[in-house]
Amino acid sequence: MKQIVVYQEKCTACRECEVSCSFSHEGAFVPALSRIKVADFYEEQFYQPMVCVHCADAPCAAVCPTVAIQRQADGQIKVIDDRCIGCKMCLLACPFGVMGFSPDKGVAHNCDFCDGDPQCVQFCTPGALEFKDVVSAAAPAKQKAAAALGLPQT
Amino acid sequence: MQGATVLRVNLSTGQIRKEAVPEQMIKTFIGGRGVGSKLLMDNMDPKIDAFDPRNPLIFATGPVTGTYAPTGGRYMVITKSPLTGAIACSNSGGYWGPALRYAGYEYLMVEGKAKEPSYIYIHDDKVEIRSAKHLWGKIVDDTENMIREETHPEVRVALIGQGGENLARTACVMNDKGRAAGRSGVGAVMGSKNLKAVAVRGTKGFKIANPDAFTAAVLKGRDKLKAGPTTSGLTMLGTAGTVSYMNMVGMLPTNNFQAGVFAGAAAVDGTVVKKDFMTRNRGCHSCMIHCGRVTKVTGHGQFDGRGEGPEYETIYGVGTICGVDNLAAVIKANYLCNEYGLDTLEAGIAIGTAIELAEKGYIPESDIGFKLKFGDADAMVKLLEAQAFRKGPIGHWLAEGGFRLAEHYGHPELFMGSKKQGFAAYDPRGSIGMGLAYATSNRGACHLRGYTISLEHFGNPIKLDPFTPKDKPYWLTILQNTTSFVDASGICLFSTFDMNPGEDVTAMVSESLGYNVGGPEDMLKIGERIWTLERMFNNAAGLTRADDSLPPRITSEPLTEGASKGHVVDLEPMLNEYYQLRGWDMQGRPTSDKLRELGLA
Ligand code: SF4
Ligand code: SF4
Ligand code: SF4
Repeated sequence: MKQIVVYQEKCTACRECEVSCSFSHEGAFVPALSRIKVADFYEEQFYQPMVCVHCADAPCAAVCPTVAIQRQADGQIKVIDDRCIGCKMCLLACPFGVMGFSPDKGVAHNCDFCDGDPQCVQFCTPGALEFKDVVSAAAPAKQKAAAALGLPQT
Repeated sequence: MQGATVLRVNLSTGQIRKEAVPEQMIKTFIGGRGVGSKLLMDNMDPKIDAFDPRNPLIFATGPVTGTYAPTGGRYMVITKSPLTGAIACSNSGGYWGPALRYAGYEYLMVEGKAKEPSYIYIHDDKVEIRSAKHLWGKIVDDTENMIREETHPEVRVALIGQGGENLARTACVMNDKGRAAGRSGVGAVMGSKNLKAVAVRGTKGFKIANPDAFTAAVLKGRDKLKAGPTTSGLTMLGTAGTVSYMNMVGMLPTNNFQAGVFAGAAAVDGTVVKKDFMTRNRGCHSCMIHCGRVTKVTGHGQFDGRGEGPEYETIYGVGTICGVDNLAAVIKANYLCNEYGLDTLEAGIAIGTAIELAEKGYIPESDIGFKLKFGDADAMVKLLEAQAFRKGPIGHWLAEGGFRLAEHYGHPELFMGSKKQGFAAYDPRGSIGMGLAYATSNRGACHLRGYTISLEHFGNPIKLDPFTPKDKPYWLTILQNTTSFVDASGICLFSTFDMNPGEDVTAMVSESLGYNVGGPEDMLKIGERIWTLERMFNNAAGLTRADDSLPPRITSEPLTEGASKGHVVDLEPMLNEYYQLRGWDMQGRPTSDKLRELGLA
C-alpha cells in the first residue's frame, strides 16, 4: 500500500505542504486545516512533517463510537463524513496527533491521499515527501545497511 | 474584487478597530509596500519625530502573502525611520505575515504608545493588548517561547529584543526567531511604543478571487524557479556564495571601505559556511529557494552556538567591513544580532565606522575601554552587546548608528552610507550604478531597491559596463519601479531572478485580487507610483537633493588595488539624468505634471 513517506532531513519547514493541502481540500489557504503539519523544533534544528500513516491497527478507528472511521479496500483509513458526530475522540486517540478537525463542517479529517495525487508531495520542492509503498521503500535501506557492513570498495 | 482589512490598534487609548481598505486604494497601490506607504502618508505628518507616538507602525502583507505562490510569504514594516528620517519599509519572510492574513487582516497599524511594556495578541477576531512587563529585557528566542507558552503552541510572533527596547537606531523587528525586518531601525519605533511583540494565531484562512487561474500562474512560476540557475545557486550557497566573486571584482567592502579586496575573503565565503557550519536549509513560508542557512558552531570557544545565518550582507556587516575573517565569530555575531534584535548590517556598519575612527585617533580610548582595531573578532562581538544595551559611551553612540557616531566624533565623512543608512555589501566604485542606487534609495542606502549588480556584473537581463555611468539612470528607474511592485505583491525579491515579475508576479496578483493589474508596462507604472509616493513622503519630511548623496571616499578617493582599482563614482551628472527620467525637478521634487500622470496629485 502506498503512503506518504517523510524524509525529515530534507525538510526545510517551508510549509508549502500545509498550504497546498489546505487549498486543495478547503478551497482556501488555511493551514490550520491542513492534514499534514510540520513539527518545528527550531532550536534543535529538526523539522518533522507529520501526516497520517494509516495504521494497521488504527487507534482512531478503534475509539470512534459511531464507526465513522473505516478502512478502505486499498488499505486507507477514512473518515465517513455522514457518520462522524464530531466528538473528536479520534484526535486524542491518534498517537501522532495527525487527525484533524474542521469546525465549519463539524467532522474529523485525516490525509486522504488527494485521490491518488498528493498535493503536498507535488509542492514539496526539496523532496522531503514521497508517495510510495513503504514496504518496497524500505528495501534500499537493507542494501545500504548491508553494504556498510563490509561490501568491498571498488 | 478581493477586499482587505486593516486592524488598527491604538496603544495610548486601547482602542481596537477594524477598517476596510478602500477598493480604489488597492487598485492604485496593490498592497504591501504600496498600500502600506499610502496608509502611512494618510495617517501622519511626515515632519514629526520617528519616536513620536503619532508615528504609526504599519505591518503590511501583499495579495500573494500566505498563498502557495512560490516565496509568497513576505510582510513589510512601514513607518518613519529613526535612523534616516525618511520612510522605512523593511521586508521579512518567515510565517508571521501569512498568519496575520489567516487571522483575517492584511494590515496592522499600531498607533500611540502603551503606558507600560505590552504585547498584542491576535487570535482571529479576538484582539487583546496584554502586559509584557515579564518579557521586557528578554532576548528574542526566550520571549517567543514564553509567549507561545501563554498563548498557543502554533502562535507566530513578531517582536523586538533589547536593541529595540533601548531605542537602538540599528534595531530590527524579528519574527519566527531567525527572520528580520532588518533595516532602517524599525525595531526602535516598536520599542518607542512600549510594544514588545505582536503574537498572531490565524486559523480562519482566506480565499482568493480566481483559484484556477491563480494555480495556473503559480505552476508556471514554479516551473521557472525549478529550472532557474539563481534559485539553485541560492539553495546551495545562499547569498553567502557571493563573497569570493565580489572580492574578485574588487568591491568587497573591507575595513570601512578603505579597500575592495579582503585578504580573508576565502575564509568567510559561502562554501565554508556550507562545509563547516551548516546543518540544513530553511525556507520561509511557501518557499522554493530555501536560502536560509541553519548553522551550528562547535569547537570555537566563546563563539559556539546554534541558530541561523549568515547571509552575504551579514558576512560583510559583522565581517569584512570590520576586517574580521573569523567565520565562527561572524556567525556568532549573527546569532547575537538575532537575539538582541539588531540589524546585522547596520549594527556591523556602525562598528566598522567606529573602528576606523578609533584607529585614526578620533575616538578617545577611554570611550571604548580598549584599543580598537580592524580584524579584532572578540572586540566586534563585544561591541554588539554594548550597542544593544547602550553600554558606555561607545555603546550609546553605536546604538545611534554609524552616521551619528561619526558626526559626534567630528568626522561624519567617514560614515559609509547615504541618508544616514549604511551601504550594503557592494563598493559602488566597482559598480557605478550601485552608487546612484544607494544615493537615490528612498529608505537610505540599500541594495534591494535597485540591484544594478545584476546588470553590471551578472548580465541579467542585459550586460552593462560596471565602470561607466552610461544607461545606469535609465536602468535604475526600471529596477526601482519593478522592486516597488514586487514588494507590493508580497512575493520575495529573490524569486524574480528566475521568474518574470511583469508576467508571472502580475498574473498571480491579478488572479488573487480578481482585478487585472495588467502586464509589464502596467507593473512599471504602479511601481513608479509607489516610488514617487515614497519620495513625496521624504520631501515632506524635509529631505532634499542634498540627501541623495555619497560620502567623499566614494566620489573622490579611487580604490587602490584589485579589479576596481582607480575608479570613483561621479554622482552629480547621473543624478541630474535620473531626476529628468523620473520627471522630477533638479531639486528632486516630482513635478505637478508627473504627480497628475501618476494620479498622486
Ligand atoms: S513542503 Fe516539504 S520541505 Fe516544505 S515543510 Fe513540507 S515537507 Fe518540509
Ligand atoms: S489518524 Fe492517526 S491513528 Fe488514525 S490511522 Fe492515521 S495515524 Fe493512525
Ligand atoms: S496527500 Fe493530500 S490530503 Fe494527504 S497530507 Fe498530502 S495534500 Fe494533504
